Amino acid sequence: MLFEHAWRELRRHPGRTLLALAGVAVSTAMLLDMLMLSDGIQESFRDLFSTSDYSVRVTPAGTLPFQTGATIDGVDELRRRLLETSEVTGVGPVLGSNLLAAGDSVRVFALGVDPDRQGIYRLLEGREPAAPDELLIGDDVRSQLAVEVGDSLRLRTGAFLGGTGGDGASARTFRVVGRADFLYASAGERPVALRIDALGTLTGRRDRASFLMVSLREGLDADSAVAALRERFPGVGLASVGELLEQARERLSYFRQLAYILGTVSVIVTLLLVGTVMAVSINDRYGTIAALRAMGISRRTVLLGLGVETLVLCTAGAAVGLGLGLATAEYLGTILADFPGIPRAVRFFVFDPGTAALALGGTVLGGLAAAQVPAWRAAGLEIAPTLHEEEL
Amino acid sequence: MDAAETTDAVTDESRDVGPVVRADRVSREYRVGSATVRAVDRVSMEVRRGEFLAVTGPSGSGKSTLLHLLGGVDTPTEGRVLLGGRDLGRMNERQREKLRLRRVGLVFQRFYLLPALTARENVELPMAEAGSDRKERHERAGELLARVGLGDRTEHRPPQLSGGQRQRVAIARALANRPALLLADEPTGELDRDTSRDILELFLDLTRSGETTLVVGTHDAELAEGAGRGLRLVDGRLAT
Ligand SMILES: Nc1ncnc2c1ncn2[C@@H]1O[C@H](COP(=O)(O)OP(=O)(O)OP(=O)(O)O)[C@@H](O)[C@H]1O
Ligand SMILES: [Mg+2]
Repeated sequence: MLFEHAWRELRRHPGRTLLALAGVAVSTAMLLDMLMLSDGIQESFRDLFSTSDYSVRVTPAGTLPFQTGATIDGVDELRRRLLETSEVTGVGPVLGSNLLAAGDSVRVFALGVDPDRQGIYRLLEGREPAAPDELLIGDDVRSQLAVEVGDSLRLRTGAFLGGTGGDGASARTFRVVGRADFLYASAGERPVALRIDALGTLTGRRDRASFLMVSLREGLDADSAVAALRERFPGVGLASVGELLEQARERLSYFRQLAYILGTVSVIVTLLLVGTVMAVSINDRYGTIAALRAMGISRRTVLLGLGVETLVLCTAGAAVGLGLGLATAEYLGTILADFPGIPRAVRFFVFDPGTAALALGGTVLGGLAAAQVPAWRAAGLEIAPTLHEEEL
Repeated sequence: MDAAETTDAVTDESRDVGPVVRADRVSREYRVGSATVRAVDRVSMEVRRGEFLAVTGPSGSGKSTLLHLLGGVDTPTEGRVLLGGRDLGRMNERQREKLRLRRVGLVFQRFYLLPALTARENVELPMAEAGSDRKERHERAGELLARVGLGDRTEHRPPQLSGGQRQRVAIARALANRPALLLADEPTGELDRDTSRDILELFLDLTRSGETTLVVGTHDAELAEGAGRGLRLVDGRLAT
């Protein structure tokens, strides 16, 4: 009867109820989006980093992968020495370089790899590049340059502002032998992959790498293994995926702060809104409430009735809000996928049931808390004076 | 109401010897700013079982306040009220609340029904609060509504009823827990003459049958004349 009454009571004022529902829905949507944003990027980065077994990155000392154009020298020697340690089971060097295609009008990002030891792309079609003139393309290149597996593509080095191209210009025609999904590609990057020795030759950077991907013996703790390796390889930077995640987290911390602030704002909006709506609705009923109390209806019953009313209002609004929030997150996600410098595979808004429960719970609890003020005031009214006042 | 219930009510009442309610020199003062208003001034009175008493007096003479004191809704600043022989002043708020629920029925000028509930649900409300089970209160609410002449309106909500019908629902609600005392403050205040007459008839019927004891506070001369006995208040005092 309590829920039934609450529902009917809300329906008696359709205008007021609809406005309140819309308000609660919008602020729940915002809360959900902000909660999804607050750790979505991080979760998404973690997923991305854990797609391969390469749990350590070796970079030029003091840099992150592709942070600068710097490269590591003597890769063959470094690789051999790394493989000699007891911790390391595999080393995959990656050399990155901007190249020009299609009569110099389009820039592509070439990734030189050892196709047997790489964790940066997944082959979708065709085969791995086996010869120095073989190339894998991504979907960007395929659609923008209209090349298919089996076609050929001419690439040329050139000087780029802040780019990672070599010094002297040289060119080579490649055969496209496969199509791949480049896990770390960001919007507009147009990645292609080829053998690292071929890219080294083309760009005049043989035996060099932008970074190495290193896999560790199973069961080894990456952080302590990295600490041990650091002692023995002081000339290069070593970072575990966990450390990289931590760095990414720090760099993206303003997103989290923004999310926390806006999330808090939306809870405050819910509080004010529900508090106001319930206060108005309860004030209208002082006479009736005083009469019920005079009849011997307990304070508890009054509070329960008003609480259930608030609960129904907040839950209905929040449920609509969750749907609205998901739709908004979806839309914002597609826009933010083009955020420069962040892998497109990284999602800004990541949904999980816990987040939805938190948004729902935040709204409902916030609303219930806000309604306590007018509800307790009504339940605690002095009966006779209120009846006297309401008579006038 | 059927015979069995009437008998039941009577036997229940007959356990109490003495008046249903008795006031001993009760006063109620209100402090308004620095001034003190004596809304009720040393009133002594009693109401016997089955009586229909009308309290009259000009506006502001203390009728509502006296009714509230008799029903344990308000507490006197002086004197004492005995309801069914029990001193209300010796009870805590929680006990008075229970007593009001089970022993007192209240009818207001403004009805104060819950507009979202049907007539039947409104009548069931005090029974639900008193803990009676669903089936029992459903049936009793139906009987009570039939008793006040609304047997065909049980599923209507207050906004769908006329003023007179609403007041009948409120009377049925007041009778729900078989109160020893029914207090009605200006019950015809918002009703037209004919409808007021119907309410008077209902009150007479309820008291003559011994179903309840009734005290009304009213301006309505016809209602006051219809009552078996009258008390007049002037400035909070009983006028003789
Ligand atoms: N809560 C209150 N605070 C201050 N004064 C009050 C309060 N309740 C009643 N009074 C005063 O007590 C006096 C009696 O009021 P009461 O409502 O009992 O009169 P009444 O006879 O019922 O009047 P009416 O016929 O207008 O209903 C009035 O002077 C009123 O102003
Ligand atoms: Mg009055």
